Amino acid sequence: MNAALSTRNFFTPLAFALTLIATSVTATLPASAAADPAAEAFVTDISAKAIDIISDKATSRTEKETAFGTLLDAHADLPKIAGFALGQYVRLPTPEQKAEYLKLVRNFVIKVYVTRLSDYHNEKLPITGSQAKGANQAIVDSQINFTNGREPVKVTWWLVKDKSGAYRIFDVNVVGIWLAQEQRSSFTSVIANNGGDFDALLKDLSKKVADADAAPQ
Amino acid sequence: MTDHNMNSVARTLNQSFKMAGLALMLSLAACATRPDPANPAAVQAYEEANDPIEPLNRYFFELNRFLDIILLKPVATWYDGIVPDPGKQGVRNVLDNLRSFVVVANDGLQGQWSQAGSDATRFGINSTVGVLGIFDPATGWGYPQHREDLGQTFGTYGIPEGPYLFVPVLGPSPPRDLVGYFGDSFFDPMTYIFWDGPYTVPVTRTVLNGIDIRARNLDTLDQIERTSVDFYSTVRSLYRQSRNNEIANGKSDVDNLPDIDDLNFDTNEPQAVSPQ
Repeated sequence: MNAALSTRNFFTPLAFALTLIATSVTATLPASAAADPAAEAFVTDISAKAIDIISDKATSRTEKETAFGTLLDAHADLPKIAGFALGQYVRLPTPEQKAEYLKLVRNFVIKVYVTRLSDYHNEKLPITGSQAKGANQAIVDSQINFTNGREPVKVTWWLVKDKSGAYRIFDVNVVGIWLAQEQRSSFTSVIANNGGDFDALLKDLSKKVADADAAPQ
Repeated sequence: MTDHNMNSVARTLNQSFKMAGLALMLSLAACATRPDPANPAAVQAYEEANDPIEPLNRYFFELNRFLDIILLKPVATWYDGIVPDPGKQGVRNVLDNLRSFVVVANDGLQGQWSQAGSDATRFGINSTVGVLGIFDPATGWGYPQHREDLGQTFGTYGIPEGPYLFVPVLGPSPPRDLVGYFGDSFFDPMTYIFWDGPYTVPVTRTVLNGIDIRARNLDTLDQIERTSVDFYSTVRSLYRQSRNNEIANGKSDVDNLPDIDDLNFDTNEPQAVSPQ
Protein backbone atom coordinates (compact mmCIF):
# COMPACT_ATOMS: atom_id res chain seq x y z
CA MET A 1 0.00 0.00 0.00
CA ASN A 2 2.69 2.48 0.99
CA ALA A 3 4.93 1.49 -1.89
CA ALA A 4 2.02 1.94 -4.24
CA LEU A 5 1.29 5.37 -2.78
CA SER A 6 4.81 6.67 -3.26
CA THR A 7 4.79 5.91 -6.98
CA ARG A 8 1.30 7.14 -7.65
CA ASN A 9 0.90 10.19 -9.81
CA PHE A 10 -2.22 11.82 -8.57
CA PHE A 11 -2.94 14.05 -11.47
CA THR A 12 -2.86 11.44 -14.22
CA PRO A 13 -6.02 9.35 -14.44
CA LEU A 14 -4.24 6.67 -16.51
CA ALA A 15 -1.51 6.22 -13.90
CA PHE A 16 -4.18 6.18 -11.24
CA ALA A 17 -6.07 3.38 -12.98
CA LEU A 18 -2.84 1.42 -13.49
CA THR A 19 -1.93 1.82 -9.83
CA LEU A 20 -5.30 0.48 -8.82
CA ILE A 21 -4.63 -2.62 -10.90
CA ALA A 22 -1.07 -2.85 -9.54
CA THR A 23 -2.34 -2.60 -5.96
CA SER A 24 -4.80 -5.42 -6.41
CA VAL A 25 -2.10 -7.57 -8.04
CA THR A 26 0.34 -6.93 -5.16
CA ALA A 27 -2.35 -7.86 -2.66
CA THR A 28 -2.79 -11.30 -4.21
CA LEU A 29 0.93 -12.07 -4.59
CA PRO A 30 2.43 -14.66 -2.21
CA ALA A 31 4.49 -13.39 0.72
CA SER A 32 8.07 -12.17 0.21
CA ALA A 33 11.15 -14.35 -0.29
CA ALA A 34 12.14 -14.19 3.41
CA ALA A 35 8.88 -15.92 4.36
CA ASP A 36 8.80 -18.62 7.00
CA PRO A 37 6.04 -21.13 6.08
CA ALA A 38 6.34 -23.07 9.36
CA ALA A 39 5.77 -19.90 11.39
CA GLU A 40 2.84 -18.89 9.19
CA ALA A 41 1.21 -22.31 9.58
CA PHE A 42 1.70 -22.06 13.34
CA VAL A 43 -0.04 -18.67 13.53
CA THR A 44 -2.89 -19.77 11.24
CA ASP A 45 -3.46 -22.79 13.46
CA ILE A 46 -3.22 -21.01 16.83
CA SER A 47 -5.28 -17.96 15.85
CA ALA A 48 -8.03 -20.19 14.46
CA LYS A 49 -8.07 -22.15 17.71
CA ALA A 50 -8.16 -18.96 19.81
CA ILE A 51 -10.98 -17.46 17.72
CA ASP A 52 -12.91 -20.74 18.00
CA ILE A 53 -12.62 -20.63 21.79
CA ILE A 54 -13.71 -16.99 21.99
CA SER A 55 -16.58 -17.44 19.49
CA ASP A 56 -18.12 -20.54 21.01
CA LYS A 57 -21.46 -19.31 22.31
CA ALA A 58 -22.22 -22.63 24.02
CA THR A 59 -19.42 -22.33 26.60
CA SER A 60 -19.36 -20.25 29.78
CA ARG A 61 -16.58 -17.77 30.47
CA THR A 62 -14.95 -20.19 32.92
CA GLU A 63 -14.87 -22.89 30.25
CA LYS A 64 -13.46 -20.40 27.74
CA GLU A 65 -10.75 -19.45 30.22
CA THR A 66 -9.81 -23.08 30.81
CA ALA A 67 -9.59 -23.79 27.08
CA PHE A 68 -7.60 -20.60 26.48
CA GLY A 69 -5.25 -21.54 29.33
CA THR A 70 -4.57 -24.95 27.78
CA LEU A 71 -3.83 -23.30 24.43
CA LEU A 72 -1.53 -20.82 26.16
CA ASP A 73 0.40 -23.53 28.03
CA ALA A 74 0.91 -25.50 24.83
CA HIS A 75 1.84 -22.68 22.46
CA ALA A 76 3.04 -19.59 24.34
CA ASP A 77 6.38 -19.19 26.09
CA LEU A 78 4.86 -17.97 29.38
CA PRO A 79 8.07 -18.09 31.48
CA LYS A 80 9.86 -15.96 28.87
CA ILE A 81 6.95 -13.51 28.67
CA ALA A 82 6.79 -13.33 32.47
CA GLY A 83 10.55 -12.76 32.71
CA PHE A 84 10.46 -10.07 30.01
CA ALA A 85 7.60 -8.27 31.77
CA LEU A 86 9.80 -7.85 34.85
CA GLY A 87 12.37 -5.90 32.86
CA GLN A 88 15.41 -5.09 34.95
CA TYR A 89 13.78 -6.68 38.01
CA VAL A 90 13.98 -10.18 36.53
CA ARG A 91 16.46 -11.26 39.24
CA LEU A 92 14.51 -9.71 42.11
CA PRO A 93 11.99 -12.39 43.23
CA THR A 94 12.89 -15.31 45.49
CA PRO A 95 12.12 -18.83 44.12
CA GLU A 96 8.82 -18.85 46.07
CA GLN A 97 7.87 -15.40 44.72
CA LYS A 98 8.78 -16.55 41.21
CA ALA A 99 6.51 -19.58 41.42
CA GLU A 100 3.65 -17.42 42.72
CA TYR A 101 4.35 -14.77 40.07
CA LEU A 102 4.31 -17.30 37.20
CA LYS A 103 0.99 -18.67 38.41
CA LEU A 104 -0.51 -15.17 38.69
CA VAL A 105 0.80 -14.03 35.30
CA ARG A 106 -0.78 -17.07 33.65
CA ASN A 107 -4.16 -16.30 35.23
CA PHE A 108 -3.80 -12.59 34.53
CA VAL A 109 -3.00 -13.16 30.83
CA ILE A 110 -5.97 -15.52 30.49
CA LYS A 111 -8.40 -13.07 32.14
CA VAL A 112 -7.09 -10.04 30.25
CA TYR A 113 -7.12 -11.64 26.82
CA VAL A 114 -10.38 -13.53 27.10
CA THR A 115 -11.87 -10.09 27.91
CA ARG A 116 -9.97 -8.11 25.30
CA LEU A 117 -10.44 -10.68 22.55
CA SER A 118 -14.19 -10.95 23.07
CA ASP A 119 -14.63 -8.30 20.34
CA TYR A 120 -13.03 -10.52 17.73
CA HIS A 121 -15.35 -13.48 17.55
CA ASN A 122 -15.99 -15.14 14.20
CA GLU A 123 -13.46 -12.98 12.35
CA LYS A 124 -10.90 -14.30 9.87
CA LEU A 125 -7.21 -13.65 10.32
CA PRO A 126 -5.32 -14.10 7.04
CA ILE A 127 -1.50 -14.04 7.08
CA THR A 128 -0.02 -11.11 5.14
CA GLY A 129 3.69 -11.95 5.43
CA SER A 130 6.44 -13.36 7.58
CA GLN A 131 10.18 -13.29 8.11
CA ALA A 132 12.76 -15.12 10.16
CA LYS A 133 14.48 -13.06 12.87
CA GLY A 134 17.85 -14.59 13.75
CA ALA A 135 18.06 -18.36 14.05
CA ASN A 136 15.37 -18.89 16.68
CA GLN A 137 12.72 -16.23 16.11
CA ALA A 138 10.14 -15.32 13.49
CA ILE A 139 7.81 -12.40 12.88
CA VAL A 140 4.45 -13.12 11.24
CA ASP A 141 2.13 -10.37 9.99
CA SER A 142 -1.60 -10.93 9.83
CA GLN A 143 -4.71 -8.84 9.55
CA ILE A 144 -8.17 -9.12 11.06
CA ASN A 145 -10.76 -8.36 8.40
CA PHE A 146 -14.08 -7.48 9.93
CA THR A 147 -17.29 -8.64 8.37
CA ASN A 148 -19.12 -5.47 9.48
CA GLY A 149 -17.00 -3.08 7.40
CA ARG A 150 -14.78 -1.93 10.25
CA GLU A 151 -11.24 -0.96 9.26
CA PRO A 152 -8.95 -4.04 9.26
CA VAL A 153 -6.71 -4.44 12.29
CA LYS A 154 -3.03 -5.33 11.82
CA VAL A 155 -1.76 -8.07 14.14
CA THR A 156 1.91 -9.06 14.25
CA TRP A 157 3.11 -12.20 16.01
CA TRP A 158 6.57 -12.58 17.50
CA LEU A 159 7.50 -16.26 17.78
CA VAL A 160 10.42 -17.97 19.53
CA LYS A 161 11.56 -21.56 19.10
CA ASP A 162 11.58 -23.63 22.28
CA LYS A 163 14.19 -26.31 23.08
CA SER A 164 12.42 -28.87 20.89
CA GLY A 165 12.50 -26.44 17.94
CA ALA A 166 8.73 -25.80 17.94
CA TYR A 167 7.48 -22.23 17.70
CA ARG A 168 5.91 -20.56 20.71
CA ILE A 169 4.28 -17.13 20.98
CA PHE A 170 6.41 -14.55 22.74
CA ASP A 171 4.54 -11.33 22.00
CA VAL A 172 1.65 -10.03 19.92
CA ASN A 173 1.41 -6.58 18.37
CA VAL A 174 -2.05 -5.14 17.78
CA VAL A 175 -2.23 -1.88 15.78
CA GLY A 176 1.34 -0.99 16.70
CA ILE A 177 1.22 -1.95 20.40
CA TRP A 178 3.39 -4.81 21.68
CA LEU A 179 1.39 -6.34 24.51
CA ALA A 180 4.27 -7.78 26.54
CA GLN A 181 6.00 -4.40 26.41
CA GLU A 182 2.82 -2.77 27.68
CA GLN A 183 2.78 -5.20 30.62
CA ARG A 184 6.49 -4.68 31.28
CA SER A 185 5.90 -0.97 31.62
CA SER A 186 3.25 -1.36 34.30
CA PHE A 187 4.85 -4.31 36.15
CA THR A 188 8.22 -2.53 36.54
CA SER A 189 6.42 0.67 37.48
CA VAL A 190 4.56 -1.05 40.34
CA ILE A 191 7.81 -2.51 41.69
CA ALA A 192 9.72 0.77 41.35
CA ASN A 193 6.96 2.79 43.01
CA ASN A 194 6.91 0.42 45.97
CA GLY A 195 10.60 0.78 46.68
CA GLY A 196 11.57 -2.46 44.93
CA ASP A 197 9.06 -4.61 46.81
CA PHE A 198 8.17 -7.62 44.63
CA ASP A 199 5.22 -8.55 46.85
CA ALA A 200 3.51 -5.29 45.85
CA LEU A 201 3.32 -6.59 42.27
CA LEU A 202 2.02 -9.98 43.44
CA LYS A 203 -0.66 -8.20 45.48
CA ASP A 204 -1.77 -6.02 42.54
CA LEU A 205 -1.82 -8.95 40.15
CA SER A 206 -3.96 -11.12 42.40
CA LYS A 207 -6.30 -8.17 42.93
CA LYS A 208 -6.73 -7.76 39.15
CA VAL A 209 -7.37 -11.48 38.73
CA ALA A 210 -9.97 -11.37 41.52
CA ASP A 211 -11.59 -8.25 40.01
CA ALA A 212 -11.91 -9.99 36.65
CA ASP A 213 -13.62 -12.93 38.35
CA ALA A 214 -16.05 -10.59 40.06
CA ALA A 215 -16.86 -8.65 36.85
CA PRO A 216 -20.23 -9.37 35.17
CA GLN A 217 -20.08 -12.27 32.72
CA MET B 1 -24.06 26.18 23.91
CA THR B 2 -24.29 29.97 23.88
CA ASP B 3 -21.43 32.28 23.01
CA HIS B 4 -21.14 33.23 26.61
CA ASN B 5 -20.71 29.64 27.68
CA MET B 6 -18.18 29.04 24.94
CA ASN B 7 -16.17 32.00 26.10
CA SER B 8 -16.11 30.74 29.61
CA VAL B 9 -14.97 27.34 28.37
CA ALA B 10 -12.26 29.08 26.38
CA ARG B 11 -11.19 31.04 29.44
CA THR B 12 -11.10 27.85 31.49
CA LEU B 13 -8.99 26.14 28.87
CA ASN B 14 -6.71 29.15 28.69
CA GLN B 15 -6.47 29.10 32.47
CA SER B 16 -5.60 25.42 32.41
CA PHE B 17 -2.71 26.03 30.04
CA LYS B 18 -1.38 28.82 32.29
CA MET B 19 -1.71 26.51 35.27
CA ALA B 20 0.14 23.83 33.35
CA GLY B 21 2.96 26.25 32.62
CA LEU B 22 3.17 27.21 36.27
CA ALA B 23 3.09 23.58 37.32
CA LEU B 24 5.88 22.81 34.87
CA MET B 25 8.09 25.41 36.49
CA LEU B 26 7.26 24.06 39.93
CA SER B 27 8.02 20.57 38.72
CA LEU B 28 11.59 21.55 37.92
CA ALA B 29 12.05 21.70 41.66
CA ALA B 30 9.81 18.73 42.52
CA CYS B 31 11.34 15.78 40.68
CA ALA B 32 10.71 12.10 41.23
CA THR B 33 12.80 10.36 43.84
CA ARG B 34 15.89 9.19 42.07
CA PRO B 35 16.65 5.49 42.55
CA ASP B 36 19.40 4.28 44.83
CA PRO B 37 22.52 4.34 42.62
CA ALA B 38 23.70 1.13 44.32
CA ASN B 39 20.70 -0.77 42.92
CA PRO B 40 21.35 -1.28 39.19
CA ALA B 41 17.90 -2.78 38.53
CA ALA B 42 16.15 0.26 40.01
CA VAL B 43 18.43 2.64 38.09
CA GLN B 44 17.74 0.86 34.80
CA ALA B 45 14.00 0.73 35.47
CA TYR B 46 14.08 4.47 36.18
CA GLU B 47 15.89 5.15 32.92
CA GLU B 48 13.59 2.88 30.92
CA ALA B 49 10.52 4.69 32.27
CA ASN B 50 12.09 8.07 31.29
CA ASP B 51 9.59 9.83 33.52
CA PRO B 52 11.59 12.15 35.82
CA ILE B 53 8.57 14.10 37.09
CA GLU B 54 6.40 11.02 37.57
CA PRO B 55 4.69 12.13 40.83
CA LEU B 56 3.49 15.36 39.20
CA ASN B 57 2.48 13.53 36.02
CA ARG B 58 0.50 11.06 38.09
CA TYR B 59 -1.21 13.95 39.84
CA PHE B 60 -2.31 15.45 36.51
CA PHE B 61 -3.29 12.01 35.26
CA GLU B 62 -5.62 11.60 38.25
CA LEU B 63 -6.92 15.14 37.70
CA ASN B 64 -7.76 14.24 34.11
CA ARG B 65 -9.47 11.05 35.24
CA PHE B 66 -11.53 13.10 37.64
CA LEU B 67 -12.53 15.57 34.89
CA ASP B 68 -13.29 12.59 32.68
CA ILE B 69 -15.58 11.00 35.26
CA ILE B 70 -17.52 14.16 36.11
CA LEU B 71 -17.62 15.78 32.67
CA LEU B 72 -16.16 14.21 29.54
CA LYS B 73 -17.33 10.63 29.96
CA PRO B 74 -20.96 11.51 30.76
CA VAL B 75 -21.13 13.92 27.82
CA ALA B 76 -19.44 11.41 25.49
CA THR B 77 -21.79 8.63 26.65
CA TRP B 78 -24.75 10.89 26.01
CA TYR B 79 -23.38 11.89 22.59
CA ASP B 80 -22.73 8.27 21.71
CA GLY B 81 -26.23 7.23 22.72
CA ILE B 82 -28.26 10.07 21.25
CA VAL B 83 -26.55 10.88 17.94
CA PRO B 84 -27.17 8.26 15.23
CA ASP B 85 -24.09 6.62 13.67
CA PRO B 86 -24.24 8.49 10.33
CA GLY B 87 -24.36 11.77 12.29
CA LYS B 88 -21.31 10.85 14.34
CA GLN B 89 -19.47 9.76 11.20
CA GLY B 90 -20.34 13.10 9.57
CA VAL B 91 -18.96 15.02 12.54
CA ARG B 92 -15.78 12.93 12.49
CA ASN B 93 -15.41 13.50 8.73
CA VAL B 94 -15.81 17.28 9.04
CA LEU B 95 -13.25 17.43 11.87
CA ASP B 96 -10.80 15.25 9.93
CA ASN B 97 -11.29 17.33 6.81
CA LEU B 98 -10.51 20.53 8.75
CA ARG B 99 -7.19 18.97 9.77
CA SER B 100 -6.17 18.47 6.13
CA PHE B 101 -3.99 21.60 6.06
CA VAL B 102 -1.94 20.36 9.00
CA VAL B 103 -1.66 16.88 7.45
CA VAL B 104 -0.58 18.21 4.03
CA ALA B 105 1.94 20.60 5.61
CA ASN B 106 3.48 17.74 7.58
CA ASP B 107 3.45 15.38 4.57
CA GLY B 108 5.59 18.03 2.88
CA LEU B 109 7.88 18.56 5.87
CA GLN B 110 8.47 14.80 5.91
CA GLY B 111 9.27 14.84 2.21
CA GLN B 112 6.32 12.57 1.40
CA TRP B 113 5.29 14.48 -1.69
CA SER B 114 3.00 11.91 -3.26
CA GLN B 115 1.16 11.52 0.05
CA ALA B 116 0.88 15.34 0.22
CA GLY B 117 -0.64 15.28 -3.27
CA SER B 118 -3.03 12.54 -2.25
CA ASP B 119 -4.09 14.37 0.91
CA ALA B 120 -4.58 17.67 -0.93
CA THR B 121 -6.69 15.93 -3.57
CA ARG B 122 -8.60 14.24 -0.76
CA PHE B 123 -9.35 17.62 0.81
CA GLY B 124 -10.54 18.96 -2.56
CA ILE B 125 -12.86 16.03 -3.17
CA ASN B 126 -14.31 15.83 0.34
CA SER B 127 -14.84 19.60 0.62
CA THR B 128 -16.83 19.69 -2.64
CA VAL B 129 -18.33 16.31 -3.55
CA GLY B 130 -18.32 15.41 0.14
CA VAL B 131 -20.36 18.55 0.99
CA LEU B 132 -17.93 20.52 3.20
CA GLY B 133 -16.34 17.35 4.44
CA ILE B 134 -19.48 15.71 5.86
CA PHE B 135 -19.03 12.70 3.58
CA ASP B 136 -15.84 10.92 2.64
CA PRO B 137 -16.03 9.80 -1.00
CA ALA B 138 -12.23 10.26 -1.38
CA THR B 139 -11.31 7.09 0.55
CA GLY B 140 -13.29 4.95 -1.88
CA TRP B 141 -11.64 6.70 -4.83
CA GLY B 142 -8.13 5.78 -3.71
CA TYR B 143 -7.20 8.76 -1.53
CA PRO B 144 -7.13 7.19 1.95
CA GLN B 145 -6.84 9.23 5.10
CA HIS B 146 -3.42 9.80 6.68
CA ARG B 147 -2.68 11.09 10.14
CA GLU B 148 0.38 13.30 10.36
CA ASP B 149 1.35 16.01 12.81
CA LEU B 150 4.40 18.08 13.66
CA GLY B 151 5.36 15.80 16.57
CA GLN B 152 5.57 12.90 14.09
CA THR B 153 7.51 15.08 11.65
CA PHE B 154 10.07 15.84 14.38
CA GLY B 155 10.16 12.11 15.06
CA THR B 156 11.04 11.34 11.44
CA TYR B 157 13.90 13.88 11.78
CA GLY B 158 15.24 11.67 14.58
CA ILE B 159 14.28 14.02 17.43
CA PRO B 160 13.53 11.92 20.54
CA GLU B 161 10.26 12.54 22.38
CA GLY B 162 12.05 13.56 25.57
CA PRO B 163 10.97 12.80 29.14
CA TYR B 164 7.34 11.86 29.61
CA LEU B 165 4.94 14.68 30.38
CA PHE B 166 1.26 14.47 31.22
CA VAL B 167 -0.44 17.83 30.71
CA PRO B 168 -3.88 18.53 32.26
CA VAL B 169 -6.72 18.37 29.67
CA LEU B 170 -4.26 17.71 26.82
CA GLY B 171 -3.07 14.33 28.13
CA PRO B 172 0.26 12.63 27.31
CA SER B 173 2.46 15.32 25.71
CA PRO B 174 6.21 14.78 25.94
CA PRO B 175 8.15 17.91 24.89
CA ARG B 176 8.51 16.95 21.22
CA ASP B 177 4.78 16.35 20.81
CA LEU B 178 3.79 19.34 22.95
CA VAL B 179 5.86 21.67 20.76
CA GLY B 180 4.39 19.91 17.73
CA TYR B 181 0.86 20.45 19.03
CA PHE B 182 1.28 24.20 19.27
CA GLY B 183 3.39 24.33 16.10
CA ASP B 184 0.64 22.65 14.10
CA SER B 185 -1.73 25.53 14.84
CA PHE B 186 0.45 27.71 12.57
CA PHE B 187 -0.44 25.46 9.61
CA ASP B 188 -4.13 25.71 10.40
CA PRO B 189 -5.99 28.48 8.52
CA MET B 190 -8.63 28.59 11.25
CA THR B 191 -5.97 29.96 13.59
CA TYR B 192 -5.73 33.06 11.41
CA ILE B 193 -9.41 33.41 10.52
CA PHE B 194 -10.62 33.45 14.10
CA TRP B 195 -7.69 34.80 16.01
CA ASP B 196 -9.31 38.01 17.31
CA GLY B 197 -13.00 37.11 17.03
CA PRO B 198 -15.01 35.18 19.59
CA TYR B 199 -13.56 31.78 20.41
CA THR B 200 -16.80 30.04 19.40
CA VAL B 201 -15.59 28.21 16.29
CA PRO B 202 -12.18 26.95 17.46
CA VAL B 203 -13.51 26.01 20.89
CA THR B 204 -16.53 24.17 19.47
CA ARG B 205 -14.12 22.30 17.23
CA THR B 206 -11.76 21.37 20.08
CA VAL B 207 -14.58 20.38 22.42
CA LEU B 208 -16.43 18.39 19.77
CA ASN B 209 -13.20 16.65 18.80
CA GLY B 210 -12.61 15.67 22.43
CA ILE B 211 -16.17 14.37 22.87
CA ASP B 212 -16.05 12.43 19.61
CA ILE B 213 -12.70 10.76 20.39
CA ARG B 214 -13.89 9.90 23.90
CA ALA B 215 -17.18 8.52 22.58
CA ARG B 216 -15.26 6.24 20.22
CA ASN B 217 -13.17 4.84 23.06
CA LEU B 218 -15.77 4.36 25.81
CA ASP B 219 -15.46 0.57 25.90
CA THR B 220 -11.78 0.38 24.99
CA LEU B 221 -10.61 2.70 27.76
CA ASP B 222 -12.82 1.01 30.37
CA GLN B 223 -11.41 -2.33 29.33
CA ILE B 224 -7.80 -1.15 29.49
CA GLU B 225 -8.37 0.39 32.91
CA ARG B 226 -9.99 -2.80 34.19
CA THR B 227 -7.19 -5.01 32.90
CA SER B 228 -4.17 -2.90 33.90
CA VAL B 229 -2.05 -3.46 36.96
CA ASP B 230 -1.09 0.22 36.79
CA PHE B 231 -3.32 2.32 34.53
CA TYR B 232 -0.94 5.31 34.48
CA SER B 233 2.10 3.43 33.21
CA THR B 234 -0.04 1.38 30.82
CA VAL B 235 -1.28 4.60 29.22
CA ARG B 236 2.33 5.83 29.10
CA SER B 237 3.42 2.69 27.27
CA LEU B 238 0.41 2.75 24.93
CA TYR B 239 1.08 6.40 24.09
CA ARG B 240 4.76 5.85 23.33
CA GLN B 241 4.23 2.71 21.32
CA SER B 242 1.43 4.13 19.23
CA ARG B 243 3.41 7.33 18.55
CA ASN B 244 6.40 5.30 17.38
CA ASN B 245 4.08 3.29 15.20
CA GLU B 246 2.59 6.46 13.70
CA ILE B 247 6.04 7.93 13.09
CA ALA B 248 7.04 4.75 11.25
CA ASN B 249 3.69 4.92 9.38
CA GLY B 250 2.85 1.42 10.53
CA LYS B 251 6.02 -0.15 9.13
CA SER B 252 7.53 -2.25 11.90
CA ASP B 253 11.29 -2.47 12.17
CA VAL B 254 12.04 -6.04 13.20
CA ASP B 255 15.66 -5.24 14.08
CA ASN B 256 14.55 -2.62 16.61
CA LEU B 257 12.89 -5.12 18.92
CA PRO B 258 14.41 -5.86 22.33
CA ASP B 259 16.94 -8.70 22.45
CA ILE B 260 15.26 -11.71 24.09
CA ASP B 261 17.66 -14.48 23.05
CA ASP B 262 19.38 -14.63 26.42
CA LEU B 263 16.28 -13.91 28.46
CA ASN B 264 15.89 -16.74 30.94
CA PHE B 265 13.40 -16.99 33.78
CA ASP B 266 14.34 -20.31 35.30
CA THR B 267 13.00 -20.59 38.84
CA ASN B 268 16.16 -22.30 40.08
CA GLU B 269 18.52 -19.59 38.96
CA PRO B 270 20.52 -17.75 41.65
CA GLN B 271 19.67 -14.09 42.06
CA ALA B 272 22.21 -11.67 40.65
CA VAL B 273 20.66 -8.58 42.22
CA SER B 274 19.52 -8.79 45.81
CA PRO B 275 16.19 -7.20 46.76
CA GLN B 276 16.51 -3.79 48.32
